[in-house]
Amino acid sequence: MKEVELVVIGGGAAGMAAAVSAYKNGVRDILILERNSALGGVLQQCIHNGFGLHRFKEDLTGVEFAARYADMVQELRIPYLLNTFVIELHSDRTITAVSPEEGLMEIRAKAVVLAMGCRERSRNALLIPGARGAGIMTAGTAQRYLNIDGYLPGRRIVIVGSGDIGLIMARQFVLEGCEVAAVVEIMPYSGGLPRNMKQCIEDFDIPVYYNSVISEVCGKERVSSVLVGKVDENRRLIPGTEFEISCDTLLISAGLIPENELTESAGIAMSRATKGALVTEDLQTSIPGIFSCGNVLHVHDLVDFVSEEGEEAGRNAAAWLLAEKETALKETASKETVSKEAVSKEAASKETTLAETASKEETKAGNIRVLSGDGVGGIVPQTVRQDTPLPEVHFMFRPLARYRDAVITARYRDTVNTSGAGENGAARTASTGGQTGQNSMNASGAGENGAARTASTGGQTGQNNRILIRKRFLALTPGEMCKITIPAEKLKNAPEIIFDIEGTQV
Amino acid sequence: MFDVIIVGAGSVGCATARELSRYRLRVLVLEKGHDLCAGASKCNSGMIHAGYDPIPGTNEAKFNAPGCRLMYQICDELSVPCLKNGTTIFATNESGMRELYKLEGFARENHVRAEIVTPPSLYELLPDIGKDVKAVLWVPDGGVTNPFCVTFALAENAWANGVEFYKEAEVTDIQKSEEGFLVTARMPASQAMDIPGTTPADAQPEGGTCPVTFSARMVINCAGGHSDVINNMVSEKKFRIIPRFGAHVVLDRKHSDKLTTTLMETPHDLPGGGHTKGMAIITTTGGTMLLGCDATEVDDPDFTDTRRESIEQIVDYFKKAWKDLPLGSDGTPFPEDEIISIFGGCRPHADTNDFVIGEPDDAPGFVNAGGTESPAFTACYAIAQHVAGICIDRLKPPVNENFDPHRPAKKAFRDMTNEERRAAIAENPDYAKIVCRCEMVTEAEIRDAIRRPLGARSISEVKLRTRAGMGRCQGGFCSPRVLEILSEELGISPLEVTQCGGSSRVLAGLACNA
Repeated sequence: MKEVELVVIGGGAAGMAAAVSAYKNGVRDILILERNSALGGVLQQCIHNGFGLHRFKEDLTGVEFAARYADMVQELRIPYLLNTFVIELHSDRTITAVSPEEGLMEIRAKAVVLAMGCRERSRNALLIPGARGAGIMTAGTAQRYLNIDGYLPGRRIVIVGSGDIGLIMARQFVLEGCEVAAVVEIMPYSGGLPRNMKQCIEDFDIPVYYNSVISEVCGKERVSSVLVGKVDENRRLIPGTEFEISCDTLLISAGLIPENELTESAGIAMSRATKGALVTEDLQTSIPGIFSCGNVLHVHDLVDFVSEEGEEAGRNAAAWLLAEKETALKETASKETVSKEAVSKEAASKETTLAETASKEETKAGNIRVLSGDGVGGIVPQTVRQDTPLPEVHFMFRPLARYRDAVITARYRDTVNTSGAGENGAARTASTGGQTGQNSMNASGAGENGAARTASTGGQTGQNNRILIRKRFLALTPGEMCKITIPAEKLKNAPEIIFDIEGTQV
Repeated sequence: MFDVIIVGAGSVGCATARELSRYRLRVLVLEKGHDLCAGASKCNSGMIHAGYDPIPGTNEAKFNAPGCRLMYQICDELSVPCLKNGTTIFATNESGMRELYKLEGFARENHVRAEIVTPPSLYELLPDIGKDVKAVLWVPDGGVTNPFCVTFALAENAWANGVEFYKEAEVTDIQKSEEGFLVTARMPASQAMDIPGTTPADAQPEGGTCPVTFSARMVINCAGGHSDVINNMVSEKKFRIIPRFGAHVVLDRKHSDKLTTTLMETPHDLPGGGHTKGMAIITTTGGTMLLGCDATEVDDPDFTDTRRESIEQIVDYFKKAWKDLPLGSDGTPFPEDEIISIFGGCRPHADTNDFVIGEPDDAPGFVNAGGTESPAFTACYAIAQHVAGICIDRLKPPVNENFDPHRPAKKAFRDMTNEERRAAIAENPDYAKIVCRCEMVTEAEIRDAIRRPLGARSISEVKLRTRAGMGRCQGGFCSPRVLEILSEELGISPLEVTQCGGSSRVLAGLACNA
């Protein structure tokens, strides 16, 4: 079995950034495993611009953005394997992967960064009824046909959902000489970035139907039209509101889902809210030494933030590896008299019980739960360790609705029962729990969320709430991530952290 | 001159073809679909019904239990995965209990093992069953298999043993003749021209198709949803198919290990009308879970659209019933976000309310195996033995000494051990190219599915044979690559590759900047 210090699963924006930053922080034995024939992930098919404005202060295409990181990987001579598909990830951080060049390989990693990205929600998952012939595909699949393969998947297009890929594809289809007949969005507002709504939809006069769904797909062997109908406040179709739009293609752009099948198979505790792993502030999952970042952790809006998070994960993995090495050295030193054989045995047994020990330590040290209050979706990280070595902690989440003149607050309740905090907040305690442990943990987590939400009405009286931070925003939308940074110093005595959004819903 | 023409290449038609291939007969199967297994055989759940519920004395009762035993044997001979995990019918109220006792009685009469289990023994059988469940009928011989794999395996084995097949050959006319029958089928002109004895003069292209007439001593009607049309061409003893649509919802494989047996509630009338064997939750051999199905009468036996009403009915039912099932008895709500797919199709229900089996009095040599609604898939081999038996009695053919009951089949990559995977990759590096991530299907398997006899020619035909595109992303990632492979293997332009045959081309043209 091949031994590698740090394995990065996925060579997209997050994975490359993680590898580069781990290298810069001292890790030399790195291996990136990428399933495609080139580094870059989905960026390879993103030929539009708007990438890199934050990270490089430049307006790049997706392909160019990927190339920046791929160049860094090359320059640093970080090893990577292409066409390599990871088929198994185990809780002891062993990995099984296959590639035509290497065959089936087994790798033992000291640390792992998960950066597998996400997939698109399908037509069937959305339960869109009707015909099942050709002409129905996700926006990303259409993007691949168009930008990688050079084919037009259709000529008259209706798009379901106003996710960013769909918006980008709407513009591109118009530029290709096709007609985009409609964008149909179930919510009263767009799910994409405001700039994409402006530049891809409004500038091209593409009709958008809000509060609407496809009530039926018509056609036999290929789509010939769709029926569009209004929904009520419970998002159920209002009968009688349907009208027909003729089209030959239905594109689905209604959400992304982190691809966490490997994560779950390793027994890592998952968040029901983000559909990613539960992580501590250093992006470490419930299995020590396994980190998660990018769209596999939670769906981002901008690739700049994906790679930023990747860099964080790489840095933290490097720090964790260093700390592990130091611990191992100390242990060896203190047991000079013990024979070498016994030491290696010790190391082996340590390896297997690592998860357990770490979880105990974690509970001892105390963890701060991070909770969603009013208007706040799934937050990353879900837990902050009270003794975190990081100088500041980044929190990311999406608003659940659209706001004008909004204030985001982070607070904690004075009277909160801290014993509960350890139990719920410790992502790591569930590490070996498997499915059942995971569920019960999620369930209790959900309960806590609810509690936080109820407690938030107390915000008006304010007597029990200690405010950690308040930030004002002109507008917030579910299409854009909120990123709040709080110095670790400020969090030291907080038994919990609750985020709320107050403002006028629009 | 054929000895036997079989109309329809669903499970019953392919089973009959395979059974006849034990003899030295010239057998032809005519299938109107772009692929075999295109009708009800493709749309059913793959449940192996033990035979506890057909009304005793009916054809359905007569063929179900023997068919169940034969299905396990066929799966074994043809290397098709199947699970004998039992069927469990549960009752939550008094009317359900009455239904259980009725079914237990039917089971006894049909010679099917079945036993009513009540608490506390119930909790030994099913520790996680909901507390509202009063009793279950435990049917140990029930099971599940993959209906497409069974049908394709039967067809391939029949083909290997000498049976001929034409796809896209819709039978439009059957005339009685001195020697037996003249069967006319409309097929693509390109295919018709390759048939010995057909000359360009015979071809009167009409939409690219032309009629070809075959003569046969006997005809077997295995046309499922269209078995009425075929019968009514020949016999005055007419019947009518009333297509009964049913849908299934597919759940992610994530929690399927919690479901150790197929569970269904006692049959009851559905709120939207119709009646089923009972809403069931089934772990498939592929690992996903099927929920369904409802029953609604429709006009077109080939109707496969997913109906809003069907989906809502199934989802609403399982939201309510989830607490009774091992997956929800701990309070876990129905995982609506783990629905990965929906599909539906029609049961060929005959107005005789039973399978229509055997020769009509006015058409000797013409054998019906029609009205093949559920449990016909389970019963397919028992029906096949019966109708093939009629032909054998009549034609008295010698035995085919070269008959091979087995089909060479490779284990799916996803089911291999790592050692087996290593060996497979060493032999063919295409095994290391994972095309479908969700179901872990390799390029080697996709190429094989296309190259096999009677192989795949469209994206959905690859899906049925390999599971590529059947997983969580529903082909989002793999379909462009599958399209490329199809184009290479079939020697056609990517623009000509179809989703499911006919005019269902995936792509509309070249991009202007390409």
